[in-house]
Order: sequence, then structure tokens, then C-alpha cells
Amino acid sequence: MPDKPKIAFYWCASCGGCEESIVDLAEDILEVAQAVDIVFWPVAMDFKRKDVEAMPDGSILATMVNGSIRTSEQEEMAYLLRRKSQILIAYGSCAHTGGVPSLANQFSKEQILRYVYEEAPSVVNEQRVRPQPRHQHNGTAVTLPEFRGLVRSLDQVVEVDYYLPGCPPTPKLLKQAVLTLLSGNLPPKGTVLAPDTALCDQCPRKETKPTDLKINEFKRPHWTQIDPNTCFLAQGIICMGPATRSGCEAQCISGNMPCTGCFGPTSRVRDQGAKILSSLASSVNAREPEDIEKILDGIADPVGTFYRYSLAKSLLRAKVTR
Amino acid sequence: MDESIQTVWNEAQTRANEAYYVQRRRITVDPITRLEGHGKIDIFLNEQGEVERAYFQVPELRGFEVFSLGRPAEDMPQITSRICGVCPTAHHMAATKALDDLYRVEPPSPARKIRELVYNTFMLEDHALHVYVLGGPDFIVGPDALPEMRNVLGVIQTVGVDIGKRVIATRRRLRELIAYLGGKVVHPVLGLPGGVAKGIAPEDLPQFQQLAKEALDFALFTLQVFHDVVLKNSAYVDLITSDTYTHRTYYMGLVDEKNRVNFYDGKVRVVSPEGKSTPSSPRRHTWTISPSTWSPGAMSSSVT
Repeated sequence: MPDKPKIAFYWCASCGGCEESIVDLAEDILEVAQAVDIVFWPVAMDFKRKDVEAMPDGSILATMVNGSIRTSEQEEMAYLLRRKSQILIAYGSCAHTGGVPSLANQFSKEQILRYVYEEAPSVVNEQRVRPQPRHQHNGTAVTLPEFRGLVRSLDQVVEVDYYLPGCPPTPKLLKQAVLTLLSGNLPPKGTVLAPDTALCDQCPRKETKPTDLKINEFKRPHWTQIDPNTCFLAQGIICMGPATRSGCEAQCISGNMPCTGCFGPTSRVRDQGAKILSSLASSVNAREPEDIEKILDGIADPVGTFYRYSLAKSLLRAKVTR
Repeated sequence: MDESIQTVWNEAQTRANEAYYVQRRRITVDPITRLEGHGKIDIFLNEQGEVERAYFQVPELRGFEVFSLGRPAEDMPQITSRICGVCPTAHHMAATKALDDLYRVEPPSPARKIRELVYNTFMLEDHALHVYVLGGPDFIVGPDALPEMRNVLGVIQTVGVDIGKRVIATRRRLRELIAYLGGKVVHPVLGLPGGVAKGIAPEDLPQFQQLAKEALDFALFTLQVFHDVVLKNSAYVDLITSDTYTHRTYYMGLVDEKNRVNFYDGKVRVVSPEGKSTPSSPRRHTWTISPSTWSPGAMSSSVT
């Protein structure tokens, strides 16, 4: 009786939402558990790091790693799981493009550590103690990982075979990916396992998106009564749909809020923020520089709006300080 | 053997044995499992085998409190929810309520009811996750169960596939209700200052009313499982009530004017380990924070 293929899940600088999307397979999880052996999944099972280290290289069929890479421990786990797995999948926005935690790339390591350990309003730390990488105890030491200067996506650290986008990916896309893996009919390496069209294509409000969009004002969502049947852009509300890959079934739109871009760009786009900027800029309904400025001033937080999930993968990657 | 070589050999052997015993007296748990978050535990035993020192290490930091600074307040419900994907609704709702305070607006009654509905549904499915997937396995599969059994698959093996399917189905339907109102269940989008983004269509109400009844049954059923599997097992009861696991602590929660729990909002009520409660105080605390002190602009100018 041949052994069942081995699957593993791991999380780096993650929130656990991707783990939840796996549990959201619901009844399907019983089928998955029959077909594969889960050999590492910290949120749900007690396997330890040393169990992974003891496995022969390449003995795991596929590992899905979510979360971005912020610390040296996460780098080590990425290298370790890469060695032990035939297929490595970047699961979720953080592993794919850096995710929300990569907004920290607008700040330096020192700014972050100083605020977190000394300056935050609820912190009491008169001695200004900072976490140390090594602490001696008798003849041995306990260790903490290094906090790196930048947040990185998984493929900026190790070679990645496939990507499942989304914050989090949908259980439906996950199920499709698992079936594809088990079928042996693998797509070309580097494929993002979601449709390669923009969200506007799938959006239930598609019919109300103007072909010739003219923006006179950018409205923040709480400044207006959001019409549940009209394209957000047509209502002057920024929606990342035009620059975002589809596959999510437009869930946020069905919650009557605009897309924020979590599925990342399509394969034809190198920088998601630049893509939406170029799309919105061409729709600004003004000619004079002052009028254009006035309209663009309505965008309160360009980085947080256009690069909310993809700052690590953007061309600039981080705030450039001279 | 030459004497000088013998001396070196003896020294090396002593050092090696010492190092071996130091390692033998060190227990490392890496990573801690069945919870959201990263952690590592190192326990050092003395020569008598008793715990001399224990370290709990958190090997992660993302810095939400820093990279949220300077961002639009109305983005906070969706940004802070990324702190945790198991309890995103809690962060989302806290941030939304902060927006109410910020703009000094009270949500209209339907909006408040929708928020309460979402939050109560979340509490139910989240606690179900804890009982059946996270902490619960330690309490359901038997106090001496091997690590391989201490997970949701072990739980399903113990309680049977039918009960397992009921747990899975109920939780799925509860999460579908949250997705109906919040767009997504992991990182919902409903929170706006003074309200919510989406209402409930009247024709959809009956199915949710039915779900609420079934969810109550499910909660009572879970209590019964705990009763039958844990409280009727004296080995478990001895373990839970022992010094190792009993933690005499205060409890704090939100209650309405009749002292009934209200997870979404209410007065703060604190109960002592002996069961005495202090008078409830209003929820609102005012923080006076000067915006200019903690903005990214101020921070970057202070970095040398």
C-alpha cells in the first residue's frame, strides 16, 4: 500500500487567516485528509520544527507557506521547507506580494523597534530594554530571531513553484489547487493559480462601469451613501478592481465595499500600484494643474491604497530615504 | 596512553558529558502549536529534575502599531483585522467602534443590530474552532493521548464522523452568515463610522433566524460533549483542577444594564476570583494623544 503524499502548511509573518481558509474547506477537509498526510501544520497539529528537519529532503510533495518574510527564523523555515518539499507554494497575499505587513517597508527597523518597545503610549520600559538575539543561561543560550530591515515576499527569499493569491485565498481556489497537485498535471512553474483577468471582468457591477470614466472627486467610502448596484469608480470611490486579479468572486463588492487589491496584479502587470495609478490618473476630469492637484489631493493615502498588499513586490519596494 | 594525551582526553570527556547533561536538562517546544501566533518555549531543569527556569519566547513582530500611523482612520477596520485572521472580526469591530467615537456618531439601530449579529456569530464560530480544533483536542482525545492524536482529525476519530460533520457544517453556516453581512468572513469589510456597509434583505431573515436556533442547539450540544467526555472522566477532572492548570484569576467582560453579557458593547464588569463583582464602569476611556507626536513625519525627523 503506497504511502499517501505528504503535504505541509507553514506561516511566516502571518495572521492565520490563510490557515482559516484551509479550515473553510469545511466538509471537503475530510476528503483531503483521506488523500494526503498532513505532516506539519502548527495552527492545527503538534508536529515540531525538529520533525521537519528529520524528514528526508524532497519527501514532502507540497508545502504551502503563507505570511511574508520579516525575521531570520522565517528565512530559515523558508529554506528548510524548500529543501524538504518538491513543490513550494506561496499561499496568500503576504507570501505572494508582501501583504499588509509589508506596509512596514515605509519605516526603518529602528523606527519600528523604538516605537514598539519604547515610545508607544501604553508601553512602560524605562530601561529601554530591547529584545536580544541571544540570552545566556548557565552554559547555554536562548535565542530570538533577527528582525530584518525589509519585509520580503516568499520568492524574494527562496524559489517558489506556484502562487495562490488573496487575503486570504478562497477555499474554492485552494481545492482546485490541491486537485491539480494530486492529478500530476502541473501548470508551468511560476503560475499564479487564479484566473488571469482583472476583477472588473467578474464584478457583478460590471455593466455600470463607464467605458469613459471621468473622475471629478475621490470620495472616501464614509462620505457618501454607497449605491449597492453601481460601479464604485463611477461613484468616485477608489476601487482596485482594474488592477487586481480576479478569482475571489468579488466578495468585498458583495459586502458593498470596494476592492482593495488583495489578489495582486495579473501576469501582464509588473507593479500593481503603478497600474491603478495610471488607470485613475487617465480618468481625472481636469486639465489645469491646480484642478488636477485638487482632485488628486482626495487620495488620502496613496501607498496604503494602491500598494496595500504589494509594497514588497513593487518596483520601489520601500520608502526611499536619502 | 601518554599522560598529556590522557589529561586532554579526560578534560574533553568531562566537558562533553557536562554539555550532554545540560542538553538533557533542557526541554524545547518549537513551535508552540494549536493557537494563532508564533512561540517557542525553553525549560531548564536543575540536577534534581525540577524546573529551574522557563522562557517563553515570541519570535515574531510585524509592527501594526507603527505602519498604521498616518493612515486614514476609516481604513483601520480592514488594516487592523490583519493582526489576526482567526479573530479578524474582533479587531474590525473594535476599530469600527473607535471610528464611532472619533466622529462622535451613534450607529442607527439596524446598523447596531447588524454589528451585534455579526459579532455574536463570530464569537460562536470562533469558540467552536477553539473547542474542536485548537485547545479542545487536548481535552477530548484523552489526557494521555499521543501528540499525533491531539488535533481536529483525532477529535473526529474520538467523537465519530457524524458529530464531526455536524461541527463542520454548523461552523460553515455561521461563517457564511458573517460573509453575507461582511463580504468576507476572514477580514470582513462591513465597518464604517456610524454604521455598516450593507443591510439584510427581509427575505433573507428567516434562514438566519433558523440558523440562530440551530446554533443555540449546537452550543448546548458542545457543552454536553464537554460534560460527557471531560467532566465524566475523573483523570481529566483531576488534571484540570490541579495546581498545574488551575489559574485563580479575575474575569472582565461587557454587560448590559441587567448584568447580562453583551459581547459587542456594554458596561465593564470585573469579577474577582471569589466571585465578587465590582461596580460596572462606563466603557469610554479618553486617551489624550497629540497627533503630531506620533506621526511618521515626526518619527522620520527624529531618526539620525
